[in-house]
Amino acid sequence: MSAPIAVVGRSAARRLTRTGGLARFTFEAFRAIFSLPGAGRQVAGRLLLNQLRFTAVEAVGLIALLSGIFSFLVISMAVRELGRVGAYDLIGRLIVIIIVRQLGPILTALAVVGRSGTAITAELATNTVMREVRALEGMGIDPNHYLVLPRVLGCIISVTILTVLFDAVALLAGFLAAGSEGMSGGRYIGSVLASLNSTDVWVTLGKGALSGLVIGIWSSYHGLAVRRGPTEIPQAVIRSTVGAIVMIFVVSALFVAVQ
Amino acid sequence: MNEPDGPLLEFHGIPMTGSAAGAFELLVMRHETVVVVGDENSGVDSLAEFALGLEAPAAGSAAVFGTNLQPLPRREQLAFRRRLGYLPAGDGLLNNLSLRDNVRLPLRFGSNFKTDEIEGRVDVILAMLRLNRVAQERPAQANEEQRRRAALGRALAFDPELVLLEQPFVGLTDRASAELLEIARGGEIGAGGRRTVFVTGQGIPMLLRNRVERVVHLADSRHLLTRP
Repeated sequence: MSAPIAVVGRSAARRLTRTGGLARFTFEAFRAIFSLPGAGRQVAGRLLLNQLRFTAVEAVGLIALLSGIFSFLVISMAVRELGRVGAYDLIGRLIVIIIVRQLGPILTALAVVGRSGTAITAELATNTVMREVRALEGMGIDPNHYLVLPRVLGCIISVTILTVLFDAVALLAGFLAAGSEGMSGGRYIGSVLASLNSTDVWVTLGKGALSGLVIGIWSSYHGLAVRRGPTEIPQAVIRSTVGAIVMIFVVSALFVAVQ
Repeated sequence: MNEPDGPLLEFHGIPMTGSAAGAFELLVMRHETVVVVGDENSGVDSLAEFALGLEAPAAGSAAVFGTNLQPLPRREQLAFRRRLGYLPAGDGLLNNLSLRDNVRLPLRFGSNFKTDEIEGRVDVILAMLRLNRVAQERPAQANEEQRRRAALGRALAFDPELVLLEQPFVGLTDRASAELLEIARGGEIGAGGRRTVFVTGQGIPMLLRNRVERVVHLADSRHLLTRP
C-alpha cells in the first residue's frame, strides 16, 4: 500500500526540486545582468550578437516559409468558407485572433525550440561534461555571465523579432490567399486593419518575449544540469524540449486568461 | 589574509577516501613546487577544487593566501580565483574557441586591460609555450600536448603567484612535462621571482622528481615527504 504512495511522493519531490532549481536558475540568470563585470560586457555583447545570428538571422528563412505556407492554407480556406456565407468582413478579425495573437507566437516559439533550444541544451551539456564549465569557474568567470545570459537574452530578442516576422509574412500570405479566392486586396487590408489594435501588437510581443525567456531558461538549465556523462546529453535535450513546449502553451494560456 | 612568510596554500583535516592517509594536512609555502600523488580513489583530484572553493570537503578546510574561499559570496569567490592560475584535469579548454582565444578569454573577461595590451600579453604567452603555429586551431584540431600548453597559458594569463595544476603530465613525454613545469614555475632565474606551484595527479614523471621541492604520497600516509 505504501509503495505506490512512495513512488508518487518521490516523483512529486523530484518535480518540486526541479521547479525550485528552475526558479533559482532564472533568478541567478537575471541577477547576472547586474553583476556582469565591466570588462566582461564586451565579450558578453559579442556572444549575444552571435546568439542572435544563430537563433534569429539564420531562422528567418524557416519562419518565413512556415508562416507563408501555413497562413496561405488557413486563410484561403477561411476566405472560401466565409465567402459562402457572405461574411468576408470577419476575415480580418479571424486572422488577428487566430494567427497574430495565438498561432504566430506559438508556432514561432516551437520552431525556435526545435532549432535553437535543442542546440543550446546540447552545447551546454557538452560544455559541462567536458569540464569547460568547471574550468570557467576555476578562472573566475561566472558561467551565468559567459554561457547563460547571452543565450537567454538572445532567445528573448530572437523569438520576439521572429514572431513579428511570422505575423508580417502571415498577413502578406493572407493577402495573396484572399486574392486567389476572389476577395479584393483593398477589402482584405481594410478588414485586417480594422481588426488590428495596439493590444494585439503588445500581446504578440509579450508572448514572443516570454516564450523566448522560457526557451532560453529551460535549454540552459537542462544543459548545465547534466552530471553523469555524455549519455545524459540526449536525455537533457528531451527534458528541455518537452518542458519548453509545455511552458510555451502555458504562457499562451496565461495570456488568454488575463485578457 | 596570510602573513608574508605564511603558507600560500593550506589543507587542514580533509578526509581522503580510499587511502590509509586519514585526514589530509599540507602547507605549501611561497615559491615551493609541491606534487601530491594518489590513486584515482584517493580523492587527490579534488584537492585543487577544494582550494578554489569549487567543491566543499566533507570535513576540514582549504585556504589560499590564508582565505577559505568556500564561505565567501559567489562574486568574491570569482574575483579571488582570478588571482590564481588553474589548469583543470582534461585541460577544460572551450572547444568552440581557438587556442589563442582560450588564452585570451580570462584577460578579456576579467581585466580592464586595453585590447592591444591583451593581445601583446597573449602573444608573449603563446610564444613562451611555442603555440604560435597552432594558435588559430580549435582544441579538437590540436594534439594533447598543444592543448595542455594552451590550458597552461590560460592559467598563467594573469601571471598569478600561485598555480594549481590537475593531472598536468598525463599523456605527455617527460621532456614536455619538465618544460611545462618550468614554464608554470616561471623559470629558475632567481628563486624570488618563481611562482608557487601545486600539482595533483596519479603520478609524476621520473625526470621531474628531482625538480620539485616535495612529493606527497597519499596512499601510504607519507604526507610530508621531502625530496624523494
